[in-house]
Amino acid sequence: MTTDLVNVTIDDRAVAVPKGTLVVDAAAKLNIEIPVFCSHPKLDPVACCRMCLVEITGPRGPMLQTACSVPVAEGMVVKTNTPQVKATQEATLGFILLNHPLDCPICDKGGECPLQDQTMRYGPGISALVEPKRHKNKHYMISDTIVLDQERCVVCWRCIRYLEEWEDKPQLGLFERGGQTLIDIQPGQPVNAKTSGNIIDICPVGALTNRVARFSYRPWEIERTASICTHCSVGCNVRLDSRTHKLRRIVGRENMQVNDQWLCDKGRFAHAWVNAEDRLTMPMVRKNGELVGVPWSEALQVIADKLQAIKKTNGADAIGGIGSAKLSNESNYLLQRFFRQMIGTNNIDHRDGGDVAALATGLPALADVMKPQYGPNPKVDTIFLFGVDPSEELPILDVHLKRAVRKGKAKLIIAHPRKIELTRYQGPYLGYKPGTEATLLNGLTAAALAAKAALEAKEGDQPAPQNDVSAVEQLLRDLCGVDPAEVKRAAEALAQSSNALIIYGPLVARGEAGQNTLHGLTNLALATGHYERLAYVGLEANSQGCRDMGLLPHALPGHAALDDKAAKQRLQTLWGATLPTKAGKTYKQMLDGAGKEIKALYIMGANPASERPEWTANLDKLDFLVVQELFLTETAKLADVVLPAVSWAESSGTFTNLERRVQRAPKAVRDPHSKAAPDWMILDHLATRMGTNWPYAAEHGITAEITKAVPLYAGLTWEALGDQGLQWDAKALNVQPTSQEATQQNITLYEEYPLSLVSGTVLFDDGNMFRRTTQMKDRIMPALVGLNPADAAGLGVVDGTPVIVRSAHGELTMAVKIEAQVQPGTAWIPESLPGAPVGALLNGSDIEHVRVQQK
Amino acid sequence: MGFNKFFKGATEIGRAMGVTLKHLTQKPITVEYPASPVPLYPRFRGKHELRRYENGMERCIGCMLCEAACPTAAIYVEAEENDPNHPTSPGERYAKVYEVNLLRCVFCGDCEEACPVEAIVLGSEFAMANYNRRDFILTKQQLLNPGEPNVVIRPE
Ligand code: SF4
Ligand code: SF4
Ligand code: SF4
Ligand code: SF4
Ligand code: FES
Repeated sequence: MTTDLVNVTIDDRAVAVPKGTLVVDAAAKLNIEIPVFCSHPKLDPVACCRMCLVEITGPRGPMLQTACSVPVAEGMVVKTNTPQVKATQEATLGFILLNHPLDCPICDKGGECPLQDQTMRYGPGISALVEPKRHKNKHYMISDTIVLDQERCVVCWRCIRYLEEWEDKPQLGLFERGGQTLIDIQPGQPVNAKTSGNIIDICPVGALTNRVARFSYRPWEIERTASICTHCSVGCNVRLDSRTHKLRRIVGRENMQVNDQWLCDKGRFAHAWVNAEDRLTMPMVRKNGELVGVPWSEALQVIADKLQAIKKTNGADAIGGIGSAKLSNESNYLLQRFFRQMIGTNNIDHRDGGDVAALATGLPALADVMKPQYGPNPKVDTIFLFGVDPSEELPILDVHLKRAVRKGKAKLIIAHPRKIELTRYQGPYLGYKPGTEATLLNGLTAAALAAKAALEAKEGDQPAPQNDVSAVEQLLRDLCGVDPAEVKRAAEALAQSSNALIIYGPLVARGEAGQNTLHGLTNLALATGHYERLAYVGLEANSQGCRDMGLLPHALPGHAALDDKAAKQRLQTLWGATLPTKAGKTYKQMLDGAGKEIKALYIMGANPASERPEWTANLDKLDFLVVQELFLTETAKLADVVLPAVSWAESSGTFTNLERRVQRAPKAVRDPHSKAAPDWMILDHLATRMGTNWPYAAEHGITAEITKAVPLYAGLTWEALGDQGLQWDAKALNVQPTSQEATQQNITLYEEYPLSLVSGTVLFDDGNMFRRTTQMKDRIMPALVGLNPADAAGLGVVDGTPVIVRSAHGELTMAVKIEAQVQPGTAWIPESLPGAPVGALLNGSDIEHVRVQQK
Repeated sequence: MGFNKFFKGATEIGRAMGVTLKHLTQKPITVEYPASPVPLYPRFRGKHELRRYENGMERCIGCMLCEAACPTAAIYVEAEENDPNHPTSPGERYAKVYEVNLLRCVFCGDCEEACPVEAIVLGSEFAMANYNRRDFILTKQQLLNPGEPNVVIRPE
């Protein structure tokens, strides 16, 4: 690096910058501001607005050149403040403003608008136009959430470039020419990229504005809180803008380790649930079959009495606690402490907790995925996605992956039962039948070993022993439904890579099949030498944190086994209590056993009743059900006591994202009329009523206790985390691979259920945190079952045909959607569709077969 | 001494009577308030009013500039998007909520000055006493329908 420095002089001050630096960035190093419109640090230069013209002395004397596109050269002399530059800046601004409507008073950008600022600083002061201004479309919806005002546009192309360079979805374009130039969509094709909202942030004027937050804030009226998004496990950094105790707007905040500065549309627009009218505002207790509002003291006393009574008659293990990966480390830590200390049971879990075969460490670092585009040395050159669909589940990871492939030339291998969006990058795609993961992975490992052997053979020049692979190939073709040639391509890419990242998600990690998937993946990673970079990613904001906090039936805080003496000793001293030793029940086991061996459940922030009808029935049979929630969910409706909690924006907490980065989410708003309380406070008061005094005065006290209870979090106090978060060190955990045979489970095929059911998550679902954003209601995926065109033709159904989807356990009424992405022989029904809980078709197993029938 | 004293007293009384008599012939300064109106200076700044255009549309576009200009944070505006079929004000934006807290206001007129469309003006109403704190917060309806519209647009 040091050898590649170039010396330049800007405004008579010398600076040395790396070769290739643009003049505008070199000037920024000296704190010299060159006004720009089209130039953006995250986008390639186009130099189309001419705002940044400066005088650069070259071989032909001083000339006006665009600072945003000219790289520095040795000995370059730049002047940014000569009369000529000033005159040019005035003229450029005057030109930009010629037809600008200047409707600042009704423009949402007003007050934080670069055009306003630069006009004040560099502009001419008076308009040169005497004729009437040109008129174009105002209030023009280019999507459900973005409003375009073509009159305000300064044609800087930032929006166009973002969609091209980052999203790889050129959905906006330039039309007409000269003074009539317009930004527009293709007729009838609104912008629908999942991260389209980012163009609002980067538009230098008020041409693109946020429809959800429209007119609800003024930059000088809002309070800004640096926080994070809690819709998924990427944990994008956001800024929460609030006014009069209401969350008004969410914008992206730069964190080069996590989200660069981008957000997806769910994270940006879907926040109406925070200030929703139907939030729970007071505790409720069931009296004569009805939930009635009561004071906190009464509700807490009922819970304390009832839990103690059940513990006395049925034992501690008849009580279970369910936390939520949507909630903070503090909430979940305290819940497991409450259960382990106050109830004395390990029956404590969360969705996709004890039921999935996870790895403790998460992604090595998101920055490694981002590195190919920014750094000179690609940190990750091959990425293998197994059962994860970043475009729907982790949208900002999706953006990073696209960049890594397009700019960093990383290879992308995908194994997913659906041909997900990222398969468009032509990497090997393995569209296996659900349930055949183990066979696929065994096949991949065999092929990878062969490829490795072939690679080494070339060097050592020894003929490699030729194994008989035809049996494996036969299995891959017949059972998994994948082309062995494609498997070979994938295996070769993995074998050749020096830094492959292997990511798998809950879709393939659940249940016993999940254990085998993990074995298979471990073998594959060991065979190809990438074990260090094998990662499980949970999908919820705090999936990683919940595991770290010990919200698991088989592990104590810090991933310690239940019989880990040191961990037990540490926690017992810290809590002043003895810990239960018997392994607890998982989420699924507790819900399956509800009403049988489980007599009481305490559910915090989870909604299992919406998942499976069977669980709804079980919950109804419980002796006692407490639900701590924001809304009267399906589960809360069954409860004996409902406790109103507050959201992530209304209390402080930390969340751990998919790369183990612990990040702060401070309290930003508060509803002064509501009696709802933060999770920690509720649990703290409940513990008091059950006979202990916990020492917390505020959330930060719990954050501090976590640093002691979880050695991995040592030093990660609230203050230390700062506003960019800190990663805990995966090496401290010292995970050792256990290589074990991955066995293929039997797949029973029934004649009458010919299709394999594929589920998963979609970004725009009918969940509590999305559907309240009314502006986006048309983007919620309706109750549709996705079918391959071939299967649809066989069934004689077309798009929209109403059908009944049956499994051996239940049925759903839906409409058909024909999609080539759905593999032949499968039916795709994601979770949380309106009125269609896919769980109705499942019976405990995660592999299910269905039949689709015309209604 | 006695006479002098008497004479002085008599002149004093005489002078005083003179003043009295003089005022007897003049027009009275006392105003029969509230029976008769109080004369006001043209630039007097009284209770706020929100104005409309001739066609009945509200002038205010909910830009919150008055709120920003107000030194005492007496104004609260909540803007919203106009229904294109039944617009409240010209353009895309209008004030859904507009409140002035008279207990905070110091009648400086900065709001008036800041308004880009001359929607908020300080009228000439000065009798603002009330029995209830809540009643000192003027709602948008009250501001749009002042008891006696008496609007002076100052030339600044
Ligand atoms: S809409 Fe905004 S970002 Fe797009 S070209 Fe116009 S000014 Fe630039
Ligand atoms: S990618 Fe995930 S964390 Fe980021 S904004 Fe979207 S939902 Fe939020
Ligand atoms: S007159 Fe002055 S103090 Fe009163 S509302 Fe207007 S700006 Fe505020
Ligand atoms: S009164 Fe004037 S300054 Fe105040 S919000 Fe309305 S238009 Fe804006
Ligand atoms: S900023 Fe350089 S030309 Fe636009």
